Amino acid sequence: MNKVLGCAALFLYLFCLPVLAAVTEYHVQLKDHLFFPSLISIPANQKVKLIIDNQDNTPEEFDSFSLNREKVIFGNRKATIFIGPLKPGEYDFFGEYNPNTARGTVLVEYQKQEEPDVN
Amino acid sequence: MLINTVILFLRDALPIFVLLVYLYVHLAATKFWLLTCLAAGALLSLTYINQIHILDQWFDGNGIELSLWLSQLFVYLLTLFLAYGLSCNTASNKNNMYWVAGLMVSLTLVSKGSNFFLYFDGYLTQNNVLQSILVGTFLGLGICLSLGLLLYLAAHWVKQQLGPWATWLLIHIYATGQLVNALPLLVQVDLIDASATAWSSQQFVSDEFEFGHLFNVLLGYQATPSIAQVIVYIFALLIPLATFYWLKLRTVSHSGNKP
Repeated sequence: MNKVLGCAALFLYLFCLPVLAAVTEYHVQLKDHLFFPSLISIPANQKVKLIIDNQDNTPEEFDSFSLNREKVIFGNRKATIFIGPLKPGEYDFFGEYNPNTARGTVLVEYQKQEEPDVN
Repeated sequence: MLINTVILFLRDALPIFVLLVYLYVHLAATKFWLLTCLAAGALLSLTYINQIHILDQWFDGNGIELSLWLSQLFVYLLTLFLAYGLSCNTASNKNNMYWVAGLMVSLTLVSKGSNFFLYFDGYLTQNNVLQSILVGTFLGLGICLSLGLLLYLAAHWVKQQLGPWATWLLIHIYATGQLVNALPLLVQVDLIDASATAWSSQQFVSDEFEFGHLFNVLLGYQATPSIAQVIVYIFALLIPLATFYWLKLRTVSHSGNKP
């Protein structure tokens, strides 16, 4: 019984750890099937919140293979997506319904105080 | 547009085809069952789409992700019911298993089929895309049908050689993969915090290419799975197997001990 309780506690700890620290928000607008800004810089190894405001009348699907995120945002509505923690690099995203125009990149880089000490 | 339509079929239509094929072989189902399931699933899917705007507002905007994840969880749990039905091989139980399988198909149609309705609804507002959509649809359907046929022949052979537990195992692996694939939905809305990557096999089989999509549907393959996905996959796959094997051993030993 104690082993079962211990496993359950470990499971809960691994998957349901409450996030007490505030998460940085980044706002993205979708207007005329274009993302503004199309380049979003976020710090490495941190979870962030993307708030996408679809200002068009039609729905759009925020899609990204590299970020492993997919969310339909209905017309004139906002949606929230959490991404990260991510390693430094570029992660592309696009609007699945308008892939030729609605394109963007999340640029993940170390913040100045987080850069690894090369010495 | 064309490529996106084909990818949509690989990501959302292929799982439906795979599940239908597996269940059709496993239960030795009839065409009537197949058509009824498809009709029920399509109806449920339309109802879901109709209410999706309301659902989107539930639970602080997380309603859609939660509903999609829950549907995959129910499909997984219904797979365990199928195994229970296999171990209690009575006539009335067989009818119940058809209902269970039908529910699995309907839930999968709701979670995957809804993407189709949203996708095509989004495109219908645009001009000059009909040709791309049609070509993509035919290509995607062709891929799904041909893979479905190959899978049907393979599953049929497996059932003949190894029995119904082998086809159940195929369904179990599929359902576990789909459950694990749905975990990022919970990460997306910050309900679980499980984003550390366990490994990267992108250079071998990438998520974005055809084999990646195929293995993802059949096995739940991810090129960069998170640690949480790996743990859930292992436990969700092995615990039911161990449990049913233990129950079977217990049944055999009890029947062996009877005077």
